[in-house]
Amino acid sequence: MSGDHHNTDDSGPAARVKALEAVLVAKGLIDPAAIDKIVDAYETRVGPRNGARVVAKAWTDPVYRKRLLADATAAVAELGYAGPEGGHLVAVENTDRVHNLVVCTLCSCYPWPVLGLPPVWYKSFAYRSRAVSDPRGVLADFGLELEPEVEVRVWDSSAEIRYLVIPQRPKGTGRMSEDALAAIVTRDSMVGVAKIEAPARA
Amino acid sequence: MSTTALEQLIDAARLDPDHVFSAPWEARAFAIALKLSESGHFSWDEFRERLIAEVGASDRARARDGTSDHGEYYEHFLSALEHLLQDKGIAH
Repeated sequence: MSGDHHNTDDSGPAARVKALEAVLVAKGLIDPAAIDKIVDAYETRVGPRNGARVVAKAWTDPVYRKRLLADATAAVAELGYAGPEGGHLVAVENTDRVHNLVVCTLCSCYPWPVLGLPPVWYKSFAYRSRAVSDPRGVLADFGLELEPEVEVRVWDSSAEIRYLVIPQRPKGTGRMSEDALAAIVTRDSMVGVAKIEAPARA
Repeated sequence: MSTTALEQLIDAARLDPDHVFSAPWEARAFAIALKLSESGHFSWDEFRERLIAEVGASDRARARDGTSDHGEYYEHFLSALEHLLQDKGIAH
């Protein structure tokens, strides 16, 4: 496992980053405090909770849903979500008949403002190389089996276009508030590798 | 038991769903690249081209050897950043 692998020698990536940062700081090109701030933002604030709010609003506000499907970049900006790698965002909606799956076959394009940075598997060769040729096989690896009649649409992200999947709202959630709904929307469902389960009745 | 390379990565992500970085150096490499780009030393598009090239070279090697990966993305990211800074004469 890569998690058990520690790079302690000078050529390991941790040492290389440290050396690089030291050179850049010495040259006055970066400020370590600014680097800390970016790390903190992407570890805590810019993440899939933003996308979950977008989805919950689309579920509860049909007019917003229409705007989101028509121009997702503008619709998420209404909620204050914009920034690097926001680019041109397209929202695709799952239905009883269509399931959408997002990949970036070349690399790692992903809508940062609404989903944060991509998880490890999204950037892996294993995912990128199979999502287009064998989407059902990939979904099975995630434990998601779709009915045979459901059409799977795979969207290959690029520098120009990023995708956000609007998952299906689970049955039995009609009385839930927008906030409560946002809490059950998962990152994986917005990439299209999972469905959302209705929460167990309290 | 998870068998495929993808399943192993999915399992790891489920154990630690909120973390996008597997090690602190990955976070710093990312933040350094983003900051330098924001400051105008290079555009993110320029950086992305380097990253795609690094990832592509690794993909081709894996397709040839039939090997799978274990989440080495940020190693490619770091190499892309080092090469770009070298070519631009930014970090020596």
